[in-house]
Amino acid sequence: MPTPDLPIVRGTLDLLILKTLSWGEMHGLAIVRWLEQVTHQQLQVEEGALYPALHRMEGKGWLESVWGYTEQNRQAKFYRLTAAGRRQLAAELSRWKSYTSAVELVITAEAGSAR
Amino acid sequence: MSWPRVRRAFRLLVAPDRIRDDIDAELRFHIEGRIDDLMARGLSRAEAEREVNARFGNIDVYMEETRAIDERTIHEERRMELLDTISRETRQALRALARSRGFTFIAILTLALGIGATTAVYTLLDRVVLNPLPYPHAERLVKIGSLVSGKTVAGEWGVSEAGYFYYLEHNRSFDALGVFTRNEVSMVADGRAERVRMARVSASVSRVLGAHAALGRLINADDDRPGVAPVVVLSHAYWISRFGGDPAIIGRPVTIEGFPMEVVGVLAPDENVPLVSAAPAPELWLPLGLDPAARPINSHYLTAVGLLKGGVSIDAASADLARLTARFPEVLAEAYSPAFMRDYHFAAKLTQLREAVVGESARTLWMLLGAVALVLVIACANVANLFLVRIETKRREMAVRTALGADRVHLAWHYLTESTLLALVAGTLAVALAWGAIHILVAMAPTSIPRLAEINLGGSSVAFAFVVSLGTGVVFGLLPLGSRAVSVSTLHDGSRGTAVSRGRRAIRGALVVAQVALAVVLLAAGGVMLRSFERLRAVHPGFDANGVIALDLSLPHARYGDYRSTSELYRQLQGRISSLPGVESVGATTSLPLEGGGHCATTFAEGDATPTPGAAQCIRYVYVTPGYFGTMGIALRGAAPDWSAVSGEHAGAVISGSVANRFWADRSALDGGISGGDGETFFRVAGVTGDVRIDDLREPNPEVVYYPIVPAKGTALWGPADAITMVVRVKSSDPLAIVPAIRRTLVRIDPTIPIANPRAMSDVVAKSMARLSFTMVLLGVAGAMALVLSAVGLYGVISYIVGERRGEIGVRMALGARASEVGGMVMLQSVRLAAIGVAIGLVCAAAATRVLRSLLFEVSPTDPLTLVAVAVFLVLLAALASYAPARRAARVDPIEVLRA
Repeated sequence: MPTPDLPIVRGTLDLLILKTLSWGEMHGLAIVRWLEQVTHQQLQVEEGALYPALHRMEGKGWLESVWGYTEQNRQAKFYRLTAAGRRQLAAELSRWKSYTSAVELVITAEAGSAR
Repeated sequence: MSWPRVRRAFRLLVAPDRIRDDIDAELRFHIEGRIDDLMARGLSRAEAEREVNARFGNIDVYMEETRAIDERTIHEERRMELLDTISRETRQALRALARSRGFTFIAILTLALGIGATTAVYTLLDRVVLNPLPYPHAERLVKIGSLVSGKTVAGEWGVSEAGYFYYLEHNRSFDALGVFTRNEVSMVADGRAERVRMARVSASVSRVLGAHAALGRLINADDDRPGVAPVVVLSHAYWISRFGGDPAIIGRPVTIEGFPMEVVGVLAPDENVPLVSAAPAPELWLPLGLDPAARPINSHYLTAVGLLKGGVSIDAASADLARLTARFPEVLAEAYSPAFMRDYHFAAKLTQLREAVVGESARTLWMLLGAVALVLVIACANVANLFLVRIETKRREMAVRTALGADRVHLAWHYLTESTLLALVAGTLAVALAWGAIHILVAMAPTSIPRLAEINLGGSSVAFAFVVSLGTGVVFGLLPLGSRAVSVSTLHDGSRGTAVSRGRRAIRGALVVAQVALAVVLLAAGGVMLRSFERLRAVHPGFDANGVIALDLSLPHARYGDYRSTSELYRQLQGRISSLPGVESVGATTSLPLEGGGHCATTFAEGDATPTPGAAQCIRYVYVTPGYFGTMGIALRGAAPDWSAVSGEHAGAVISGSVANRFWADRSALDGGISGGDGETFFRVAGVTGDVRIDDLREPNPEVVYYPIVPAKGTALWGPADAITMVVRVKSSDPLAIVPAIRRTLVRIDPTIPIANPRAMSDVVAKSMARLSFTMVLLGVAGAMALVLSAVGLYGVISYIVGERRGEIGVRMALGARASEVGGMVMLQSVRLAAIGVAIGLVCAAAATRVLRSLLFEVSPTDPLTLVAVAVFLVLLAALASYAPARRAARVDPIEVLRA
């Protein structure tokens, strides 16, 4: 197993969770697995940090949760996006995009171009 | 997956254990699943666990963090839920109250009247009684006097100079002791003369009372020596009213009683000192200047006040002073003989200053608070009845709510919101009512109630009104919980359940009976007061007040120091005033009837064996000028001396009938000899008056000796009358209109003499009855409110019963009962309820009116006539209140009822 080497940027965990859940309802473990799969295990996240984030977002009304059964017939807590959560995802996405494009502009700028 | 279709709020309303278990299960699932993942890739269980733990981080920390988040969320949700409930219920209650306007209007008005009246009286009580003394350590302040009870005198005297100094030096109970005397004097400042209230104080009085100067200084020990310093301190109120609050007042020269003095200070604003009686505060403070080395004299003219040491009780201090007083015959032998101590039972008497100032008013006001509280209870009974009706009419609505899942708590919320809203509106209205009522109360209250002028509706009164209204609101809101639980069965039940309503009817009957009983108490109290008032008004005061005015003069002592100058002035003044148009006659006295005052002197009749000291009677003496008796319309046997007799120094004295009886019994007193003081030189008795009420209308035949203002040759008086009250009889419907003319006349004779207190004699008479009439009017108003409220209560209950018994009445009429019989039956029911209430009320009234005893005059607290009248009146009222419902009952159409 390759060692994850990209520490997660502060504040992006919410965005990752919201985006992940936009594909459908999932329990916490499934969210972690999904993130591993799509990032080819490059993202380093302390898995425990997921749960305070999930509960906080539920408190804000972005997520709702229910206990259900997995395919292996084990009890798990499933989360899904609410309408408010979808709006939040859209907002965070657009903020993320403008952020990264701004950062991109800075790091690709050539010396003296401001003159 | 089945997602529940419930709001998150409800899902989150869970216990803390549930939260913990939930999170625990969630995290365990994660870790177990992860281990399975790794083991599926070939790791051993131990390796997998280590790897998972490393990736997960500190599980305890995350768990705790998650739990904290959940709890915060739940807390927030609950708060929102509560706010939501309150605003929803409030909106609903407002809508409901707006729908039933009649109920809302009457309930609010009734409560507001009750609470408003209570708040108004509470405000008086709060200001006058509960917090009446503006001094620091008010609870440690006492008034010290001497209690005497001999064969011929009984009462409370002040203290003597020597006694004061002895107490001062030897007591163990006081931080400070002070003495003062009060008087009225004439003061001239800026060329304008005025009569003012003055206190001569020892320097220590400021320490006792904790008084401060707003400007300059107070009387100090250097001023307060024999041969007193000519300095004066002004009260704050007087400084403002007389000198416009002039900051340059210090050092200003003024003339008091003809002596030049200097203003050295102004008291701080709230110090209406010394206020050891209900009398108005003095306007000037002067040093008293007692000499500790003076020969002891048995004269108790000083008022003493003391500041108890911290932790010393008034009883301990009394014992302390009793110990000292017992030594008087030994240490102050010149003034206190053992015989005197024995014959007079001479003893020190300590009174809480608070009691001395407000004791009498406190009792009146507490009683009135009791009366208005009863009115409030009656009002509450009415509102309770209204609420019961409302519960009845809302039973179906409540049943629907119950069926839809509302539990008892929700129903309680509903009722509580409604009643609290109602009570708060009533409370607001009550504050407005109380504000108006206080102004009326203050205007009519007797002047013997101290510090009334400063009264206003303050924060504590508003708080009182709202606490009372919230209290009633909560009680009414909880009322429905006490009644039978609402059940869904009400929904199938088309008609009213008779078993339930029988219970309700009993409750409502009991409420009305209680109302009537309380109304009887209030009316009986008002009734005996009214009868006392009538009796008192019927009393002939011994003079004719109509068309007579009185005004006070005080002559500067420096210019009018002897009999000749004072009598010349009075004679000249009387002559000039008599010739004013409209004036019939003029006279003057040192003590006006019904205003009391004056001094007494040991009095002897010529020819009697000189009585032993102590057995002699101290009889009040008054100076009068010629013309006094005629002007006052006082009946006289014999003839009062005229001016020629007075100026010729051979004027006799006039005595009251009671004095004539005491000394001459069945013989004629005329031309007998009477002496005040020495028992050796005698005035001839020139006339005998009828019964003139001196202190109080209640006290018949007071003993008085009227001396001329100039002593007859060979006799002695106590000095010239330099402070006197002129009486003027005028032919006019507005006798006071003559005052400016009198002022002008006086200015022409001597502009340094101030005129104070012009008043109509009829007002003096009214004022002497003020406490009685104040109490009577307030009790009367309380009684009237009780009456109206009870009538409304009776009407409501009887109407309700008639409505409820329509079916039964219809059957009776179908079976041949006549309309008049049915109406009679209804009225009888009302009268029966009232009769029970009256019976209970009479018993309570007999007990309650006892507290009025001290106010009553020639009427027993259980005056049978009053009680019978009240009883009959209420029963008639009950019949009247049921008249309309009875007519409705008589008009019931049996066919319509039976068909329904």
